[in-house]
Amino acid sequence: MTAIAVASAQSRDFFSVLAPGGKRVLFALAAVAVCLLFAFPVFWLALTSLRPGTGVYYVHRGTEFTVDNFHEVLSQEIVLKALFNSFIISTLATVLSLGVTMTSGYMLSRFKGPIPNAWFSLIYIFRCVPYVAWVLPLYFVTQRLNIFDTYWGLLLPHVAVHICFFSWIMKGFFDGIDPSMEYAAMIDGCSRWGAFWRVAVPSAVPGLTALAILCWLYTWNEFLFALILTSHETPILTVVMAQFVHELGMEWHLMSATAVIALVPALIVTLFGQKYVIRGLKV
Amino acid sequence: MLALIAPAVLVLVLFQIVPILTGANASFRDWTLHDPKRTWVGLANYIHVLRDAEFLGIVLPNTFGFMAASVAGSLILGLLIALMLNRRFPGRTIVQSFVLLPLMVAPVIAAIMIRWMFNDQFGVVNAALEGVGFAPISWLTQRWTAFFVILLTDVWLWTPWFALVLLAGLQSLPAEPFEAAQIDAASAWRTFRFITLPMLRPVMVVCIVIRAIDAFRTFDIVWTISGGGPARGTELFSIYAYVESFQFLNLARGSAAAVIGAVIIVVFALLLYRVLNRFVEVSK
Repeated sequence: MTAIAVASAQSRDFFSVLAPGGKRVLFALAAVAVCLLFAFPVFWLALTSLRPGTGVYYVHRGTEFTVDNFHEVLSQEIVLKALFNSFIISTLATVLSLGVTMTSGYMLSRFKGPIPNAWFSLIYIFRCVPYVAWVLPLYFVTQRLNIFDTYWGLLLPHVAVHICFFSWIMKGFFDGIDPSMEYAAMIDGCSRWGAFWRVAVPSAVPGLTALAILCWLYTWNEFLFALILTSHETPILTVVMAQFVHELGMEWHLMSATAVIALVPALIVTLFGQKYVIRGLKV
Repeated sequence: MLALIAPAVLVLVLFQIVPILTGANASFRDWTLHDPKRTWVGLANYIHVLRDAEFLGIVLPNTFGFMAASVAGSLILGLLIALMLNRRFPGRTIVQSFVLLPLMVAPVIAAIMIRWMFNDQFGVVNAALEGVGFAPISWLTQRWTAFFVILLTDVWLWTPWFALVLLAGLQSLPAEPFEAAQIDAASAWRTFRFITLPMLRPVMVVCIVIRAIDAFRTFDIVWTISGGGPARGTELFSIYAYVESFQFLNLARGSAAAVIGAVIIVVFALLLYRVLNRFVEVSK
């Protein structure tokens, strides 16, 4: 270690010789480049959504802008219905997924023995199974259960998607919490359930918040399951949006307007939850 | 103890395990339209898929190539961004908000948008290329350029996730080794190479495993950008299974392909699990 340190101390800094201050400029340029890289497609989407239908093919030429696309999209009943449905489904899926996996993760973290081991192997394996292997037969299963194209028919598969991964992540949250507090609570007369609910869960709140935000965003943005498991009765926003450039011809301006509308709630959730997400994402 | 996992088990069994078994059952039958009885045909569908030159020569290499390139690309970019965000500089939170943008955008929207940007006639990328004096490229009609566009979309979507998780990892590292390195006047590169990187390795390994498994089953962005084309040149295995099921209307063959893919990835995941266990004790 000392040899390394001495060697590096002797080598002169490249930048201080050739371009004083160059390092800072380079850093600033890199920061700007990062912003541009991530913002450009979103910026382009917003720009397309503001162009009239006639000017949309040459977004980069011409300067007429209009909000007619938003008017047109929001006057369509299916879009409003889809907005509402997506909101309900995302919220319920978040509540249910977290509720179900909280206990499952706690069990994985606090109990030892063959049953937790088997459950862990099961969720690890089923987490890896590709979606195509189950979303197609799921169509038949939901039809058999008479819940195809209803809230439950999309909600429960979404919860199923999250069970494996979230149980794993939750286990991590509870692993990071010292169990001795729960033991103390139990000695003082708390039941195991009380120890879980009153001691362990409150300590896991930062992680739970992050996971709730990510879960909500994931469900809000999900496409494949919504495409296969819903139809006219329960329109979902991502599917309706994609239809603007698939089934109903190439209406880029309307698709973009819907996409921008879909972005707003996600934007609000992310900006408000930013600090929780960043804190909670420790693996 | 069992009551704690009962709801999770119930939902998992009904909505994941039962469908998977239904699909697996279909894969052993003749599901073509002229056979309403769905005769049991044993392994015939599997043999057909495994002998398909398309599957072996294009789909599997594509899938693994995509997985490796996507994970490597977003890991490297994500690490660089995490290192950048780990410093204090004016405007840091603004840059961080920009980095979060792809997390909010639905993958389908991103895919549609990037397909639009790379459109050979109206796309902004070709307009920019022409502007600087290059010939426009018809991105989506050639295999490798189409593959590149898909990869770009995937890296764009997933780099923020890597960046955020690695940033959280960086921020939880102890300060003492860095102070010691500073006292020894170690250069930035050496500090990174011999202190940051080794201490960050467990987090990186977890990220790589999670992302590699997800990248293997990528469907929506490929489907939206190229539909597996041109001439099935960018098909990944989930596209292959979907095309067999819904375009060639052979659900059995599609299911067989899906099961083969599932077996490959589960075996792969179990191997990764051993790697994972060496770095972080996941199961304990």
